[in-house]
Amino acid sequence: MNIRDFGMDTITMAGTLPRKLEAMAHGGFNQVMLSARDLTGHAEGVDDAIAAVKASGLRVTGFQVLRDFEGLDGHLHGYKVDMAKGMIDMCASLGAKVLLACSTVSQHANPDLEAIARDLRKLAMLALPYGIKVAFEALSWGRHTNEVTRAWDAVMLADMPNLGVGVDSYHMLATKTPMEVVEGFDPRKIMLVQLADFMWSEVRTPEERMTTARTFRVFPGEGVHTDAMTQLVLKLDALGYDGDYSFEVFNDDYQQMRPSVVATRARRSALWLAEDVLQRAVPLPDARRLRSLNT
Amino acid sequence: MSANPLATPREVLQDTSNPMQIEGIEYVEYRTSKPQQLGQVLEQMGFKPVARHRSREVLLYRQGDMNVVINAHGGGGTSVHGSAVSVPLPEHPQIAAFALRVRDAAAAHRRALDLGAWDVPVNVAPMELHIPAIHGVGTSRVSFVDRHREFSIYSVDFVPIPGVDPNPPALGNMRWFGIVQYIGGERTSDWVAFYQSLFGFVELGAERDTGVLPSGCVLSSPDGSLQLQLIEPPADLDDGVERLQRVAFGAPDVPAAASALRQRGVTFIETQQLSVQPRGALTQTWLGSVMFELVHVERR
Repeated sequence: MNIRDFGMDTITMAGTLPRKLEAMAHGGFNQVMLSARDLTGHAEGVDDAIAAVKASGLRVTGFQVLRDFEGLDGHLHGYKVDMAKGMIDMCASLGAKVLLACSTVSQHANPDLEAIARDLRKLAMLALPYGIKVAFEALSWGRHTNEVTRAWDAVMLADMPNLGVGVDSYHMLATKTPMEVVEGFDPRKIMLVQLADFMWSEVRTPEERMTTARTFRVFPGEGVHTDAMTQLVLKLDALGYDGDYSFEVFNDDYQQMRPSVVATRARRSALWLAEDVLQRAVPLPDARRLRSLNT
Repeated sequence: MSANPLATPREVLQDTSNPMQIEGIEYVEYRTSKPQQLGQVLEQMGFKPVARHRSREVLLYRQGDMNVVINAHGGGGTSVHGSAVSVPLPEHPQIAAFALRVRDAAAAHRRALDLGAWDVPVNVAPMELHIPAIHGVGTSRVSFVDRHREFSIYSVDFVPIPGVDPNPPALGNMRWFGIVQYIGGERTSDWVAFYQSLFGFVELGAERDTGVLPSGCVLSSPDGSLQLQLIEPPADLDDGVERLQRVAFGAPDVPAAASALRQRGVTFIETQQLSVQPRGALTQTWLGSVMFELVHVERR
């Protein structure tokens, strides 16, 4: 069993941060994707939350989410730069190496790709001294960037080594983006992969996508797009992607279950992907290290 | 096509290869709780104390065109968000900053911030000089100084030490060559992008001359006055602390400069791998962290 590359987002389960971390660790996961609210909403404060994460022994997959950053001007841009700095500061305190930034929904944002790329370049520069990578993710209801291909174009134009895309299966399925598009990506520019399925066959409008995304995602293998999910993971693996996969499963029902039950479902999904899909039956000691030495 | 044809320049009239109009290096600053000991090391290396700060425990050392500031002023600094934080002075001296001479310090600073650099809130007392700066590698800073030809920035905040030649000649014709920066694993492309995008540094290829320790990646400032050598840790060493590790002096005749330094008590590393050679040399380490490199440069 080798589910080392798989982890869970904290938003996937209910409860306090320590209970979530405990449930994930008991579920056999060794990494966690954190939200800023995990820290800011922690009763004992941000520093105590950071200490709890470090004490859990779980590696931090990444930190989310910076919203509506790109395409703004003047005081709005200045305000968002301040917000980005605050997120980067927390990200660095956690030892997180990836900051997730999702495409803007703001009607004030400039649709011009050059403007988007310029702001992403600036965001990556802000994160650079801290050794943090920025994953730019296309929300399926994003105003100007709603497909991963458009996010890719912006990332290519921005051209910063610590900037890449965040691939999110939910949003790709929602916009019916063919999974083949990832074949054209450089795996080094994929900073994070978030996985989730859902139960409807389609979500046509941005509003429907948003509602489903926020209430009724399920773990890979539990939804109706299993073939597409399988295809995506296999294509990423064949491409040479050796980063993390995190389950970002917003689900109202899971919020009403014991965290341990949700973690068990997540583990089942991770095992299915690792063993049945990727066929990683044998743990490879130091696999990541060997890969880095070979490059 | 532009809506306003007059807004479209017909020619590129600005020199984009040196976007900050860098003209050299003004000073290198060390922080330490042991300023006297570091001062003795600098004197061994040929520097002379020439001035002290009016209100803080800060000393200026100089030889030739090189200024080194020893900052032993406690009382903390500022966090990235501008709040005051208590930063203890390191016992082992650290290279805390380097200052670039630029045509317009405010413009250079603004350019860096526009592109995503972090501002260093400047904490000046009344009548003190405001030197804009950004955060660099680790805890270090990059400062911007202009009008260096018109007046000395040190005449504002520093008092000359009486009876001392304010412009002592450089031992062995030494001058600034560069700074070695230790970076994290797989971080070369990040820091190359940092120096390229903000400052217009260019990566040097095989033609580079980096003395006796040529590993890593070497960048040159657009005016050629400063080389930055970026060195990742070896694969089996987990040393993730990024920092400015040492400075390198250029010398037209390295063995002669080394000989002059030896007479002042400086010893050089002499091993099978590393020794004093015409192309460069490396000194001993003082105070647990301070060493200097010599690199051959053409005579000016």
